[in-house]
Amino acid sequence: MDQFIATYGFLMINMLLQAVLALSLYLPLMAGQLSLAAPGFFAIGGYVAAVLSTQKFLAVPGTSYGEPLNAFTLWLAGIFPFTPPGAAYPIGLVLVEMGIGGLLCGILAVVIGLPALRLRGIYLALATIAFVEILRVLALNLPITGGAIGIFGIPQPFPQDATKFSYAIITVPFLALAAWFVYRLERSRVGRAFIALREDELAATAMGIDPTYHKVLAFVMGAVLAGMCGALSAHVLNTWNARQGTFDASILILAYVIIGGSRVWLGPIVGGLFLTALPEVLRQVAGIDGLPVWLSSFLSDGRLIIYGLLIAFGVLFFPQGVVTPERLERKAKSPSPRAAEEAVT
Amino acid sequence: MELTTLLQQLINGLSIGSVYAIFALGYTLIFSILGIINFAHGAVFTLGAYFTYALTGARFGFNGIFAEAQLPFGLPFLLALFVGAGLAGLVGVLVERALFRPLRARGADPLLTLVSSLGIAVALVNTIQYFVGAEVYSFPSSVLQGLPPSVNFGTPEAPLVVRTVQLVIGVISLVILVVLTWFINRTKTGRALRAVAEDSTTSSLLGINTDRLILLTFFISGFVGGIAGTLVGLSVTITGPYFGIAFGLKGLAVIVLGGLGNIPGAVLGGIVIGIAENLLPSSAVAYKDAIAFAILFVVLLIRPQGLLGRTQVQKV
Repeated sequence: MDQFIATYGFLMINMLLQAVLALSLYLPLMAGQLSLAAPGFFAIGGYVAAVLSTQKFLAVPGTSYGEPLNAFTLWLAGIFPFTPPGAAYPIGLVLVEMGIGGLLCGILAVVIGLPALRLRGIYLALATIAFVEILRVLALNLPITGGAIGIFGIPQPFPQDATKFSYAIITVPFLALAAWFVYRLERSRVGRAFIALREDELAATAMGIDPTYHKVLAFVMGAVLAGMCGALSAHVLNTWNARQGTFDASILILAYVIIGGSRVWLGPIVGGLFLTALPEVLRQVAGIDGLPVWLSSFLSDGRLIIYGLLIAFGVLFFPQGVVTPERLERKAKSPSPRAAEEAVT
Repeated sequence: MELTTLLQQLINGLSIGSVYAIFALGYTLIFSILGIINFAHGAVFTLGAYFTYALTGARFGFNGIFAEAQLPFGLPFLLALFVGAGLAGLVGVLVERALFRPLRARGADPLLTLVSSLGIAVALVNTIQYFVGAEVYSFPSSVLQGLPPSVNFGTPEAPLVVRTVQLVIGVISLVILVVLTWFINRTKTGRALRAVAEDSTTSSLLGINTDRLILLTFFISGFVGGIAGTLVGLSVTITGPYFGIAFGLKGLAVIVLGGLGNIPGAVLGGIVIGIAENLLPSSAVAYKDAIAFAILFVVLLIRPQGLLGRTQVQKV
C-alpha cells in the first residue's frame, strides 16, 4: 500500500484537482455558456499562491519554515492551527491563498463576464480562448510571474519526507465541497434558472429569469472554483509557470465535461477522474507481458493519440457524456421526469 | 520609425499576412458551409509542412517510428509544396468522412462537433509525434535554388532589404488567393459552393450534390492549410508537432476580425493582423503573440460580426 501511494499519490491528487477543474467548466455550461476560460483563472490562482507564499507570507522565500512576514500573516496562520509537525508552511496559509486567489478570479470574472457574456455559443468560446492566450503571453513576460522560468520552490505544508498524497487532506474535502455545492446548486432556484437558460434562453427570459445576471453569476462561480484550484495546485506542483493554463488545458478540461457528462454534476467529476488516470492506465496496460511489441509501444508512446480519438469519437457515440441525468435517476429507481416529459412531447 | 524600416515591416507584414489569409480561408470556407469551426485545421496545417518536408527528400530526426527515414527521391520544392498540400487536403477529406459527416447525420450540436474536431486535432498532432518525434525541422536552404537570401529594393545608400523567403511566401499565397477567389466567384462549382453556403437544403433540392461539395470544401480547406503550413515552416522552422496549434488559434482571430464565414473578410483580417504584428515597436516584441488575441477579444466585444460581416438577427 505504501508503495502504491508513493507511486500513484501524485496521480491521485492530480485526478481530484482535475475533477474540480471540470466542475469549474461545468458551472458556466450549466447556464448554457461554453467558456474555455477555466485554465486562465486556474493559472491566475496559481500565480497568486506562488507569489504570496514565496514572496509575501514568508520572510525567507522557499526555505523550510521561514518566519511569517508580519503580525497579520501570523494571525492568518493562527486561524487554522492544524499545521502538521515538521512542515515548512502552515496549511492555514494555503487555505488563505486559495481564498484570495478565488476572490481575485471572481472579481476579474465579473469585469470580463459582463461584456463577454453578451456573446453566444462559439463566439464566447473564442473570446475565452483569446483571454487564456493573452494571459499566457503576459505570464511569459511580466516580471512578477517570473517570465518563462516561472516561480519555483513553492513551500510545502507537509514534512520534507511526506509524499504528495498528503495533499489528500486538503484535496478530498475540496472536491467534496465543490461537488456538494454543485449538487445543491442544481436543486436550488438559481441552479434551475441556469438550466432553464441552457435549455431555452428566450423562454427562460419570458419566465422572468434575468439572463445577464445568471450568466455572469455562473461564469463567476466557475472562475472562483478554478482560481482556488490553481492556488492549491501551485503548492502541489511546487512550481508554477506559463505552461500551466494553456489552450491544451482548455481542451482537456472540456473533454472531461463532454465525455463525463455535461448535464449533471457527477459527469464532470467522473470525466476528470477517469481521463486524468487514462494515460497512466494505458501505460500500465502496455507493460503487460506477452503483448506484441508494436502494440505495447503504441499503448505507451501513442497514448495521446488514443486520448484524442476517444474525445473525437466519444462525442459521436455518447453525445451527452457517459453520466446523464436519466442514467443517474434510473440508478435511483425512481421514474425519470425527463423521460416522462419526452414521452409526452 | 524610419520610412525604410516602416516599408520593410509593411512588406514583411503583407507577406505573413497573406499566409494568414490563405490559412484562415480554410476555416472560413468550412464555417460558411457547415456553420462549425474545424479545430483540426491547425493540425492539418502542421501535416502539410511535414509532408512537404518529407517530399523534398529531407531526413527525419532520430526519434519516433520513422527515425532517420528519408524518401529515396527528392521533389523540387514547388512540386513538393503542392503534393504535400494535396495530401493534407486528403487528410481533411478523411476527417470529414470519418467524423463530421456522421455527426451531421445525427444532427449533433455545433458544440459537440467543435469538441470532436479538437479531439481529432490532438490525435493528429500526436500521430505526427509518434512517427517523426518532436524535433525542430528546418527546410534546407537549398530549396530556394540559387535565389539570393535577400533582395534590396532601395538604393545602396538607403537600403530596403527584404528576405527572399518573405517574398516567396508572399507571392505564392497571393497567387493562391487570386486563384481561389476566381474559383469561388467565377466557376460553376464555386457558384454551387456559395449556394450551399447560403442554404444547403434548398441547393440540394435544386440538384446540387451537397455531400460532394462538402468533401470538396474540406479538400480545399486542407490544401490551403497545408500550403500555409509549409510556407510558415519555410519562413521560420517547423517547431515540432504542436506548431500548428498556436497558429490555428491565430487563424481564429483572423476569421473573427474579418467576419466569420466571410471570404473577403478572412483575407482582409489576415493582412491586417500580419501588418499589425510587424508594426509593433521592438520594445514590445515579446507581446507579439498576444496581438492577434487582443484584436480577437476587442473585436468580439465591439463588433462580433467582424469588419465585413453582416449583423445576424436572432430568430426565435
